[in-house]
Amino acid sequence: MTELEKKTIKIAEVTRVEGHSAVHVEITDGQVTDVKMEVTEGKRFFERMLLGHQFSEMPHLTSRICAICSAGHVLAAIHSVERASGITVSETTRLFRLLMQMGMFIESHATHIYALALPDFVGAQDVADLATRFQAKFIEWTKLRSLGAAIQTTVGGRPFHPVNLHVGGLSHYPSVAQLEPLLAQLKEYQQIAVDLCELLLGFAPPVRRTTDPCYMALIPPDGEYGYMGDRVKASDGWEDSIDNYKEYLGEKVLPYSHAKQSNARGKSLMVGSLARLALFGDRLGRMAKPLYEKSPIASGDTNTIWNNLAQALELVDAIEQSIAIIGKLKSTPYQIDLHDPRKQSIKAGSATGATECPRGTLYHHFVLDDSGKIMEADIVTPTAQNVGRMEVDIREVVQQAKDPTAAEVRDHLETLLRAYDPCNTCATHMVSISYR
Amino acid sequence: MTERGKSLPTIALEELAGCAGELLVILENLDQLLPFARVLRFRFGQSRNDTGPVDISFVEGSVSQPHDLETLKLIRQRSKMVIAVGNCAVWGCVQGSCAQKYPVPEMLRKVYGDDTHIDSLPSAGIDNYIKVDAKLSGCPINATQLLAVAASALRGHLPYVIQKPVCLECKYKENVCVLVEQGLPCLGPVTAAGCGALCPSLGAACYGCWGVCEAPQIDAMTSTLTDKGYKYEEVRSRLTTFGGSEKLFGRDETSAAGASCITAE
Repeated sequence: MTELEKKTIKIAEVTRVEGHSAVHVEITDGQVTDVKMEVTEGKRFFERMLLGHQFSEMPHLTSRICAICSAGHVLAAIHSVERASGITVSETTRLFRLLMQMGMFIESHATHIYALALPDFVGAQDVADLATRFQAKFIEWTKLRSLGAAIQTTVGGRPFHPVNLHVGGLSHYPSVAQLEPLLAQLKEYQQIAVDLCELLLGFAPPVRRTTDPCYMALIPPDGEYGYMGDRVKASDGWEDSIDNYKEYLGEKVLPYSHAKQSNARGKSLMVGSLARLALFGDRLGRMAKPLYEKSPIASGDTNTIWNNLAQALELVDAIEQSIAIIGKLKSTPYQIDLHDPRKQSIKAGSATGATECPRGTLYHHFVLDDSGKIMEADIVTPTAQNVGRMEVDIREVVQQAKDPTAAEVRDHLETLLRAYDPCNTCATHMVSISYR
Repeated sequence: MTERGKSLPTIALEELAGCAGELLVILENLDQLLPFARVLRFRFGQSRNDTGPVDISFVEGSVSQPHDLETLKLIRQRSKMVIAVGNCAVWGCVQGSCAQKYPVPEMLRKVYGDDTHIDSLPSAGIDNYIKVDAKLSGCPINATQLLAVAASALRGHLPYVIQKPVCLECKYKENVCVLVEQGLPCLGPVTAAGCGALCPSLGAACYGCWGVCEAPQIDAMTSTLTDKGYKYEEVRSRLTTFGGSEKLFGRDETSAAGASCITAE
């Protein structure tokens, strides 16, 4: 009997992603026998931490899970508390929250595409190399992420960990005059985002997975493209209310990782830009839609690497939506919320809140007592939902490689994982457990 | 690399357990640092990372597992100067306050199951484990403060970081006091300045995200808020959330528990 030929691929530290992760692949006699995506980020026990705190602290505390999607955590926490306690807000508050969300998408997508992913495609080492050898691209990134940061600073008070968004409304309503410079920048920079889509359309993905994932995203209301909703839809046609997320999102603890892995009714799922476009791409606005229609995503190509392009398409759409939101805020007098959000009263209850974040659907679930104290907390982040599919992708890509141990394969695996825009701090701290 | 590039001071941007907020602030201001420093390590932003000696290491995040501690000790060994950036590195931030209240082994078992192999440490700021040359608090850090600290450090000076209460900045802005005039539970009087009195300027109560100021008057703050009708346990919980130690309560307020910003040799 001949001895089996064993090979391993190890990436001890995946670079240019948020947080700490490592990859371990074993190949026995040409067959991939083991794939581990290890998330090694230190644990912070957020769900335990939240217990006993007041409902009003939830936006501020949960935003600390992750800086880049802090606005998403704030919005999901507010959504959960307001649903639990039956609080409704004014149209003005709703519009400012939407604008905040658009700011987050613009900043996060621009940073991921230019600073983390693009170097692989233009042949730069990293963002510092991009800054010296591809200065025009570096300046484009600076402009777009500053725009996203400016929107979030105007609405939220600072570029991330916003201080102005509360359960029940805003503590300060930015004036129309404060919105004008944003409007001017949005119009000026729109073309940069369009050109970015064109650029990414021209890059052929270096590797491809061989099976399709189960895509899942919130269903945006009113037939529009968007990032809010109370129901989810999957690419196999299934739909459900977010209230049932514990039933449709399965979870397992892995001995080698600090992140738990989720699945969708047993299938490996993918959430994020590519999933949203695959499900609702035909709802995009006037600027993004023609770009989407000529993309491989519209014709059903599910290659992970197209998630970078999907983010660029959402960037175009977020700029267009921001312009429309500011237009609405300018054209109608502000409606002030019924109760001062800084002195909001609360009723006991429990509910799930959810929002689409740059990386996918984020769930927050809180149980409140009648004094507004958090009795139970549960949070499921996008990356926790994607990690299972990342392992499947790694397996499929390595299986196709002629020489799996070639340096090129390692680089391609990093490019592949980077396309998910993984957020390991989120994945780790958001291990989902109900704490009582 | 140019000759000039070789002669520049070197910096490393390191992360332990945190939200990556400080790295994001650094990444967004990288173009202002690059003319004055050579970046040796920045795993978040670059692919080639050097583990050799470095002039200044900026460390974000708390120590939350044995692996973080090993990393931190290596960082100290290879760096001439270590600067803690952000509340996680300076105070342990929200996870530090959680670890002050609840035993970590119990939390581990509850999240990962009884037979978990995962190692964990109670989250804490980095000066619990190594000598730290300067501390820049903030959640997230303020970009202007960061650049000022970096400018001093790159010249070989120990940076100065203001540790006065937020009220000082709030008065400069001539804001209406949200604590006295509006009865909101503002923590400005015991919170370190640096944000520019962000929350009160937007009509909201400061929630202490810079950590405590120098010589914080915790007992006076507590009684002011309980007099206004806020529950003691709620006040205490809010005061410790972003870095206030439980030890600050019920002590003689003249001791400098706010920790001086510079620990010079």
